[in-house]
Amino acid sequence: MAQFNLYQEEFHPSPIMHIWLEFKRSHFALVGFAILVLFCVIALISPFIAPYDPSLQNTNTLLLPPSWTSNGSIAHLFGTDTLGRDVFSRMLYASRTTFGASVLLVIIALLIGVALGSLAGMSKGVKSSILNHLLDSLLAIPTLLIAIIIVAILGTGLINSMLAIILALIPQFVHQTRNFVREEMKKDYILLDRLDGASSLRIFWHSVLPSMFELLAIQSTIALSVAIIDISALGFLNLGAQGDVIELGAALSQSLEAAYVAPWLVAIPGMCIFLMVLSVNIVGEGLRSALRNRLNH
Amino acid sequence: MTVMLLVKDLIYRHQVKRTLFTKPECFELGPINFEVYRGQTLAVIGHNGSGKTLLAKALVGGVTPQQGEIILDGESLAQNERQTRNQDIRLILQHSKNALNPAVTIGSILNQTLVLNTSLDEKDRYAKIEQTLVKVGLLREHYFFYKHMLSDGQQQRVALARALILDPKVIVADEPFAALDPSVRSQTVNLILDIQQDLGLAFIYISQNLGIVRHISDSVMVMDKGKIIESGATNEVFCHPSKEVTEKLISSHFNLVDKHFEQLG
Amino acid sequence: MPLLDIKNLTLEIESGSEKVKALDKVSLVVNEGEIRALVGESGSGKSLIVRAIIGAIPDHWKITADRLTWKGQNLLSMSQEKRRVIMRREIAVVFQDPTSSLDPLVTLGEQLEESIPAEFVVKGNYWQRKKQKREITISLLHKVGIKEHDACMKRFPHEIPSDITQKFMIAMALVSEPEILIADDPTRSMESTTKNQILKLLTRLNETKNLAILFVSHDLLAISSMSHAMTVLYCGQTVESGKVKHLLRRPLHPYTKALLDSAPSFQVNLPPKSHLTTLDGTIPTLQHLPIGCRLGPRCPSARKECVKVPESRNIQNHSYSCHFPLHMPTSGQGQAKEQTDQHVSAKEHAGASEKEAYVKFNEDIDGPPT
Repeated sequence: MAQFNLYQEEFHPSPIMHIWLEFKRSHFALVGFAILVLFCVIALISPFIAPYDPSLQNTNTLLLPPSWTSNGSIAHLFGTDTLGRDVFSRMLYASRTTFGASVLLVIIALLIGVALGSLAGMSKGVKSSILNHLLDSLLAIPTLLIAIIIVAILGTGLINSMLAIILALIPQFVHQTRNFVREEMKKDYILLDRLDGASSLRIFWHSVLPSMFELLAIQSTIALSVAIIDISALGFLNLGAQGDVIELGAALSQSLEAAYVAPWLVAIPGMCIFLMVLSVNIVGEGLRSALRNRLNH
Repeated sequence: MTVMLLVKDLIYRHQVKRTLFTKPECFELGPINFEVYRGQTLAVIGHNGSGKTLLAKALVGGVTPQQGEIILDGESLAQNERQTRNQDIRLILQHSKNALNPAVTIGSILNQTLVLNTSLDEKDRYAKIEQTLVKVGLLREHYFFYKHMLSDGQQQRVALARALILDPKVIVADEPFAALDPSVRSQTVNLILDIQQDLGLAFIYISQNLGIVRHISDSVMVMDKGKIIESGATNEVFCHPSKEVTEKLISSHFNLVDKHFEQLG
Repeated sequence: MPLLDIKNLTLEIESGSEKVKALDKVSLVVNEGEIRALVGESGSGKSLIVRAIIGAIPDHWKITADRLTWKGQNLLSMSQEKRRVIMRREIAVVFQDPTSSLDPLVTLGEQLEESIPAEFVVKGNYWQRKKQKREITISLLHKVGIKEHDACMKRFPHEIPSDITQKFMIAMALVSEPEILIADDPTRSMESTTKNQILKLLTRLNETKNLAILFVSHDLLAISSMSHAMTVLYCGQTVESGKVKHLLRRPLHPYTKALLDSAPSFQVNLPPKSHLTTLDGTIPTLQHLPIGCRLGPRCPSARKECVKVPESRNIQNHSYSCHFPLHMPTSGQGQAKEQTDQHVSAKEHAGASEKEAYVKFNEDIDGPPT
């Protein structure tokens, strides 16, 4: 089917628009993107749309099954838990915590990692090499293990677990950024920038960073899926969110005791985590193939 | 004819450290002595590894020579005077995948050059960029184009625009026509000849393509292992080469040309 | 019978959502022992032709041809097995960048020994066979002019200078004693001394072993010094084809003339630092191919007839596709028009008057007409 062009002029998009157009071609990736956007929206507005207060205990409606089963009622969409709290509201707040915390910590890890990696990539010499190889050796250890060790040192709690995961994610960003910046610096157009009199900071900001967006986007999606799983895992192990902070992993571990009686209490948080990670991975995969293919069209 | 560029006793030692334990290999460039007149083209030829690219970098300030003087239009260029150095001697590189930054627009590349070297305000910069784009045969709209939207010839014109935008006195070009198709090459050669005539630029040009060298250069310099082994007017060097290396280079090219004329009968 | 016979090869590829004819009725013939040059700039499709011959075209591209035969056997309708056998034993290919065509982790000697066909070393036990392989390797390296075979065989690809690597690639191509060598721009980005050596080697191989060569390049100097015949390609269309002598002397197509003008060494009386004669404009991209003759927008002698693809006309094995060829009286065009008015199918041979003029012009290099 020929393309119908209403306008005579050529359409010349910027590289980022190109990526978006290419990304849109895959319907699978768009579905993943929609789910991701849904979670972002939930993270932002869940306090306003939750029908009940998540910590409101109602002894009249203990262990109510979800509304789609025969015993459930529409008043509680996903049913209630062992203390009569509405599962739907709890899920909204928990998704907000898990997703929001993950996004925040990925952003922080990215900023620190990229800064360190770029400094290392732009400077030469043995010192930068040693620091990087030390950090690279951390890449061999699973992030969850590193996070647990740091939590053991710092103590439990949501903030501490976030700190732990940030520290565990930084080496990946440093490694990728350093390699990329080092390759870029060897290129001819950087030489021409230097001859024009550009300082290293200027070269980094104007010439290297624009090419780095793609790499960072892909790295961030990978880091985000790792962060979501790690936060939930720490919550599950009771090393993360404590007390009345509602979090998906913590909710999962609390529901384990009643698993045989009320399986929905385990299934629904599990589904939320699953959907979050799935959507992030699908979007990441879509981005990667968009970047590979964008120059073909 | 006024001497635009005079190079005296330039020496640069390039240390290449292969591994941590072996002694570094030293490549010595020089002593280099030559002069280029206003509106004239000097071609530098030689085998790969004879130091031509190093010479180009030393002339534009990419590497610091240990010894020697570069006198541009009567004034001696000290290494710390980056400003004048940047403005008056500019470099054009071979067309390749990495000659132009693919993530930024042409306009922002040229804008950066102006911001770093002149004190023009935004409106003036924009006008100057447009003027330069037209001078090299591109359109004003190319300001907003990215590298992937341009053909090889157009990308090479952008490189030329980047060199010309600071109104230099000398342009050093390292194999600018090497990776281009024949028709694009002819167009670029014509463009450079026109610009040279209009602006009176001195042009130093490194190349392997002896046919083009013979056509566009006024004088030729032959380099081997970092030293200049022969130099002189193009016709002189091509018709009466005195050194063996020069002889080999020239005869290998003209062998092919002779065979061509044999075919014509 | 010609070794390689391609007639009206058309290749449709998908660009965006539309189908584009990257190759449009390309015709090419390589005879035994002949060096044929395939000349074209980037975007002309010369690498696509090489891939079509080898069979390295993705399945979703449509390839049609009146004839695409190797020694009479149709390559398009052949089974994969048979095609691979032909590719292995009878056709050899050498590509542009020699260092990237070799395995960087294996020494050169091992790579060459590995590619010797099993049929050449049958007799004897394992050690005798190894010895035979080594002997074959050494003789091949000598044949291509690499004298210090020991040093060469022990090294890795990145340790050897590019001219020796390219000679090594030619040695690898010759291992199976092919009948044709397809060289895809082997002397690109080489300095002139190295280029000379490679070209001399190819000429010697052609003369001593009667090896046909299909030399794909846009370097006219290299081509005119060693080829017997050439085919000029522009944007996927064959524009002119014939003996090198005839084309160089009197190019009939404006594009051939433009290519020849781009090499200043070919023009005797060109004043130094003067403009080179060029065609305006640039090579169109795949998305914006012109209708009819693809040189139309750039051609100085283009007229409104050029929106129709010109038919290929033939004078004494010099064929050209142009409505208004150079050096030809325009009566040829009128005659062709008459014929089509009478519903005669496309004429391949030009009118009598042009043929006369052509033969007369080339008398001194071709000899008097028989």
